[in-house]
Amino acid sequence: MADPKAAHPGLYRIDREPPPLLGQRCAGCGRLAFPPNPYGCEGCGAEADELVTEEIPGHGELAAFATVHLHPGKDIEAPFTVGTIVLDAGPTLRATLTRATDDGLAIGQRVRSQLVPRHSEDGGELLELRFAVEET
Amino acid sequence: MPSTLRDLRPVRVIGIGLHPYQRASDTSYVTLGLRAVREALSDAEIAWTDVEAAYNGTALLGVAPTRAMLRHLGATGLPVLQVENASASGSSAVAQASLAVASGVCDVALAMGVDKPGMMNLASAKAGVRDLSGSRIAPFTHFALLANEYMHRHGARPEHVAQVAVKNSRNGAQNPYAQRQKARSLEEVLAPPFISGSLTRLQCCPIGEGAAAVIVASDDAIRRLGVRARRAPRILSSVTRSERVYEGASNFDAELTRETTAQAYEEAGVGPADLDLIELHDAFAIEELLYVEAMGLCAEGEGAAMLMKGDTDIGGRCAVSTSGGLLAMGHPIGPTGVGQVCEITRQLRGEAGPRQHSEGRTGLAHMVGIGAVCVVHVLQRE
Repeated sequence: MADPKAAHPGLYRIDREPPPLLGQRCAGCGRLAFPPNPYGCEGCGAEADELVTEEIPGHGELAAFATVHLHPGKDIEAPFTVGTIVLDAGPTLRATLTRATDDGLAIGQRVRSQLVPRHSEDGGELLELRFAVEET
Repeated sequence: MPSTLRDLRPVRVIGIGLHPYQRASDTSYVTLGLRAVREALSDAEIAWTDVEAAYNGTALLGVAPTRAMLRHLGATGLPVLQVENASASGSSAVAQASLAVASGVCDVALAMGVDKPGMMNLASAKAGVRDLSGSRIAPFTHFALLANEYMHRHGARPEHVAQVAVKNSRNGAQNPYAQRQKARSLEEVLAPPFISGSLTRLQCCPIGEGAAAVIVASDDAIRRLGVRARRAPRILSSVTRSERVYEGASNFDAELTRETTAQAYEEAGVGPADLDLIELHDAFAIEELLYVEAMGLCAEGEGAAMLMKGDTDIGGRCAVSTSGGLLAMGHPIGPTGVGQVCEITRQLRGEAGPRQHSEGRTGLAHMVGIGAVCVVHVLQRE
């Protein structure tokens, strides 16, 4: 069986726990951005060769959440829950949470990244990066 | 030093027209658009041959829809242009028509919008920048997240947010052009189905079809064509901005609205206390609370209290979305921003019938487009 692959190659590492995200630090203005892009810095306009890949630890705080009841895509079945996460390193991102419903979720909870397997359309295994509430 | 719209020659709205917003049907976009334009011409009491340029806000119809429609009014050879700016396409058509008249390159210009539901082919999906959430965060979920954050921050409850849809359904029930013409109780608005987070179906706007048209003109044209100037409010400012990097802010849409509106106030020489009417981008109920605060109508977190007091009702301190807004009048995309200018003009003229707001002098129209962009116009009766 083939090794599992990242569902979003280039956005996070799958060989470490908790999986770090792959952001970009701008050598021009120092801004740390996620997701990475191959074009230029949104903060100062520096060109792509000034954007240096930087691992961002998958630790942060839950700033908002919502359970989605309507989703036409085949990648996941509704209901599922997404969140806005402010990473400790600075960037804010949105991702799927490990819990399907908002049961027990609260704004301000500590969250960490986690890999969740799912099947791709061609039968292989994909590892999706989601966020889980940290056990206290 | 660049000029603002107000530094140039005055631009006034002389004609308005609409095709009712409705569910997708087999009516062609040509029928929708022509009805709105003919109504606007007849409202202005001018002829199609008096119109010197046409700007058509549309996002979903495909390439080159405009001449294929307008030729049926008589192919005068006027310049035509499609204007695409996502949900703000119609607002941007108004902006372009206003600039054309203000600059003096023409005296009478048509701004219209027409659309039919279709595949939203978002270019950003092809930009080569992927994120973790992708299609899992549709616009309704984006705003469900903002609603969740807002309620937590300000101690508001889902019924406060839902009250926006109650008010706007009441206004829409008085608007013959509205897609949803039924006044809804709080209970009905809060009832399932839930779409995302606390947002139920009736807290999400219907996307249907329709058309709207606005004719703008210079004072020279108003005199020459014998238009009744009393019915022609002036467009005092027209401001378009796009999102910046808002480091540390939790709500980029509110920030973008805040700075676009602030610039529109400054250029128009008015402030939030001068506004009698607002038509804003309430595609989802939470947006009205976010934007009235960002527009400075009340302090942050006070939007729900202002709504509950009736300040934003018809007859209140500043009526918000007398048309029913996107939630009740509907959001056919291209027409929406033009339809807002139709509503404000109708209100400022005192011709809004059962939904007439008392003594309106100054109104503001606001749209946001995915991406994000924001377009604001301030209109005033003189």
